[in-house]
Amino acid sequence: MRHGKYPFIIGFLAVPVALYAIFVVGAYLQMFRLSLTDWSGYGTFKDVGFDNFVKLWNDEVIWIALRHNGYLLLLLPIVTIAIALLFAFLLNVGGGSKGGMTQGVWGSKVYRVVFFFPQLLALALVAVIFQRVYGPDKSGMINGLLPDSWEPWLFLADEKWALTCILIVLIWQAVGFYVVLFSAGMGSIGQEIYEAAALDGASRITLFFKITLPLLWGNIQVAWIYLGIAAFDAFALVNIMTVNQGGPNNSTQVLSMQIYLNAFKYSQAGYASAIGVVLFFLALSFAWLTLRVNRSDSVDA
Amino acid sequence: MSDITKSELDRRSLLRRAAAVGLAATPAVGMLSACVGGGSDEKNDQATGTKSADNPLGIDTKAPVEIVIFDGGLGTKYATDVDTPMYKKKWPESEVKYSATEQIATTIKPRLNSGTAPDMINNSGADMMDFGAIVKAGQAADLTDLFAAPSFDVTGKTVAETLVPGAIEQGTYDVEGGRKPFAVNYSFTVFGLYYNKKLFEKNSWTVPTTWADFIALCDKIKAAGITPFAYAGANASYYMVRAIMTSAAKIGTEQVLKDLDNLKPGAWTAPAIKQAAEAWGQIGVKYMNKSFLGLRHTEVQLQQNQDKVAFYPCGSWLENEQAASITPNFEYAVMPYPSVTTSDQLPATAINAAAGEIYFASTKGSNVQGGKEYLRVMLSKAAALEFTKLTKSLTVVAGAADGQTISPGLTSGNEMLSKAGKDIFMGYLWDTWYKKMNDASLEAVNALMFNGGDAQKFCDTMEKVAQDVAKDSSISKNTRA
Amino acid sequence: MTNLTKTPRAATTEPVVPAKDTGRRVNPLGGVAHAALFLWALATVAPLIWVALASFKSNEEIFLDEPFGLPQSWAIDNFADAWSEAHIGQYFLNSVFVVVVSTAGTMLLGSMAAYVLARYKFPGNRFIYYLFVSGLAFPTFMALAPLFGIAQAMNLLDSFFGLIVIYIAYSLSFTVFFLVAFFKTLPHEIEEAATVDGAGHVRRFFQVMLPMAKSGLVSIAIFNIVGQWNQYLLPVVIMQSEDKYVLTQGIANISVSAGYQAEWGQLFAALTLSILPMIIVYAVFQRQIQAGLTSGAVK
Repeated sequence: MRHGKYPFIIGFLAVPVALYAIFVVGAYLQMFRLSLTDWSGYGTFKDVGFDNFVKLWNDEVIWIALRHNGYLLLLLPIVTIAIALLFAFLLNVGGGSKGGMTQGVWGSKVYRVVFFFPQLLALALVAVIFQRVYGPDKSGMINGLLPDSWEPWLFLADEKWALTCILIVLIWQAVGFYVVLFSAGMGSIGQEIYEAAALDGASRITLFFKITLPLLWGNIQVAWIYLGIAAFDAFALVNIMTVNQGGPNNSTQVLSMQIYLNAFKYSQAGYASAIGVVLFFLALSFAWLTLRVNRSDSVDA
Repeated sequence: MSDITKSELDRRSLLRRAAAVGLAATPAVGMLSACVGGGSDEKNDQATGTKSADNPLGIDTKAPVEIVIFDGGLGTKYATDVDTPMYKKKWPESEVKYSATEQIATTIKPRLNSGTAPDMINNSGADMMDFGAIVKAGQAADLTDLFAAPSFDVTGKTVAETLVPGAIEQGTYDVEGGRKPFAVNYSFTVFGLYYNKKLFEKNSWTVPTTWADFIALCDKIKAAGITPFAYAGANASYYMVRAIMTSAAKIGTEQVLKDLDNLKPGAWTAPAIKQAAEAWGQIGVKYMNKSFLGLRHTEVQLQQNQDKVAFYPCGSWLENEQAASITPNFEYAVMPYPSVTTSDQLPATAINAAAGEIYFASTKGSNVQGGKEYLRVMLSKAAALEFTKLTKSLTVVAGAADGQTISPGLTSGNEMLSKAGKDIFMGYLWDTWYKKMNDASLEAVNALMFNGGDAQKFCDTMEKVAQDVAKDSSISKNTRA
Repeated sequence: MTNLTKTPRAATTEPVVPAKDTGRRVNPLGGVAHAALFLWALATVAPLIWVALASFKSNEEIFLDEPFGLPQSWAIDNFADAWSEAHIGQYFLNSVFVVVVSTAGTMLLGSMAAYVLARYKFPGNRFIYYLFVSGLAFPTFMALAPLFGIAQAMNLLDSFFGLIVIYIAYSLSFTVFFLVAFFKTLPHEIEEAATVDGAGHVRRFFQVMLPMAKSGLVSIAIFNIVGQWNQYLLPVVIMQSEDKYVLTQGIANISVSAGYQAEWGQLFAALTLSILPMIIVYAVFQRQIQAGLTSGAVK
């Protein structure tokens, strides 16, 4: 190999790896450790082996929460990416061509700014806002807009729809970000490809499926993972918006909420760590599967 | 922020309801890796002095004392302007280190775990610590000597003798070596059905004492286009649980609630609980609407101030909380929950009143006796009166605010107390002892009130939860006599 | 097997100058596309406008009147209260400072690590890479208790430096993961040419790789800025004195006390106040993002 490769490698890796190992790996190793104890969060603890995991297996609410995480995991990435791809395409190349240049529809600059904006709001803030947007009587924004003769919609107070309401907020916030991300990807696709295709008389729909989608695949994969991780969380929204933190009747219960309740409300930090460990491995499997779908693992030297 | 001095009777310690808006309520932050297995067995040097008649707790008169107050609805003026000056006057050589925080657990929990705690802590707010777990971990000091000490300013009485009945019991826990008091629950809350006196006078509606009268009045109110009864299902179902518990106790005495606290098999399916749930469930079916399930306490309370809701089950902090929304046509008054059956064991005037807002001395402080002495100052009659004036909340110091006319709602609550006489009961503690059971009850009561009033289902659900808690060895148990 | 096949424009590509031409094609899709875009834009801004309106209202109006009705009397004092009690300005500046520094740090350290992991073979490469990726799956608030201990032991509590370092550590997972994939797709020819010219490893990285990777770096920088801007849990652990709060903590505080006090107008005013600077900053920032994304490689 070339001269001085190893000093360079070590020099470049030392700081990031050290930081990461101390603050992140150190923290999650402790989580693994505590998941085998009966620590309440105060004082001392003793080892209880895998008791927490046995308890978890038999905990009905955990299974309910897991189902809800699954629902979010399935729908959040699909819906968000679909909408974002559509918009990004319209904004970048949807406007037909002009003087031999494909371009976005009219007003695309403004749209891009507007769409991206929700990303700048902390999730906690979004939750507070939407709690009122979804108000179950005429004081709620949406119900206030509906005709007076209608029965107010219950939104978060309706077992059947509460989780979907949460999903919609997540999508509302995320779409703009991915529009920008995909726009960046589309921007780096050479114009000449589009121009050639457009000269062949390809419609925009053809352009999208034949050119844009395949070339953006890497971006989509990243978006998928990022959104999946977000779907495993959803804590801030559930905590702030829902009836009784995860209700009504556990219809919005998710694993992160369960961790929170056990760790900080029920004083069962050991058990909460065990749920954390489960969540960790679920998310890890999800990321791994996503990467496995298509991935070359070649490392070039 | 939070130089909010407008106060409310702080429900948050006793009442354990979720934080009002609870923006990702701050998780309590836990312990040091270094502390694992350590920390709690360290003996730190305690400042002590010689006991005497003037110094019953034997404090070191020169040692500083550190206190931490929750900076929330009650404000902090009572501590800075009343308690601390009184303490300093008595012990001029002892410095009081004072701090206030909104995030009790975040700031205090690490200090408890690393063995460097303040001497006296006001455990309250959205970010409060689980006091049962603190007691179990040996972090809270036994207050037996405080309650046995002579009162700060009532001659011839011990501290315990100056307090309302049940005040000490609420902070008493089962530990090795028996049941001991670990907390001063300082504020005193009266629970009942709140209504607008002016609205009732205008319509010549009279306060019902029997269930039949209650139903008849609800029908009249409904005909007048007002929602007769409401509570906030999204974050204040707790109030409804308390209403059902109160009715059950009136049907079958407080023993019914003690059985629940003691996790006695069959306690939740007892006739008194079922009758109470049945009666209230029907109120839910007939006099509420589904939208209240999705509303928060502030929203429903506002509707009451607007005369859109007539009856609201709550505690005596309500008037303060709503201070900004009270119009000239609105005047809070409170009534006891009507008798559910004609054969109730307790009279219609019987009420539930309980102590809340935890103050405790930490075993990990450097001057624990000093912390207790600060509590003894707080429990003086003079300090209690000033507290009530500042916060419009009663305290557990009996009769401290007698003869004071502070506000209509408080006056009404006081009247209700005096009419109840000896029929004042503390209620129940399972909600603070067993958090999981508390959370389950919030869900169950919402199902009862908003999904058709199935009392049997309510009882069975809660019975199962209670038995699960009883079986779970990871949960430490308490008992009540 | 579709891999990331984005080819960043070679350094020799001339910048594209759109020709000014007014001959637009009429497209049948246009109407539907516009409708969709417009509706989404509406759905995006409606809640925000509604919040802004509500911040001028009294409790009564917020809960009992038309949602988009104008306030009866513009209650400016909501803002005064929110401002004086909430120190929004201070928190906003704290947030900006922390996010700017930590994003810069994250980008530098993350791209260094990712570059080495993507383009050099050495024992332990895979292990380190997967270690970074595993952090993606770590639920942040399980980190709280241990993190507090670690920070206390290292004397990092209640310091901006501590918070920045921790932000960087928690942003590295995603940054490294994303950039490794991205660096792998970049062509090797230019790098090799630089080697022939006698450039060392470090110079190759800074002068050849980073400019080539610009579009990926901008994307991930946006990810990091957004993520760190909205971070709530980590500052709660680290920042304990109120003058050091970041914006999310400030809002949380206001929201909690507004809930106790039922001062909704004030809460909405505080929300509006915290949103406004973001609109302004973003309007400026937007141009740079666009520029960064479309500029391609720098010569």
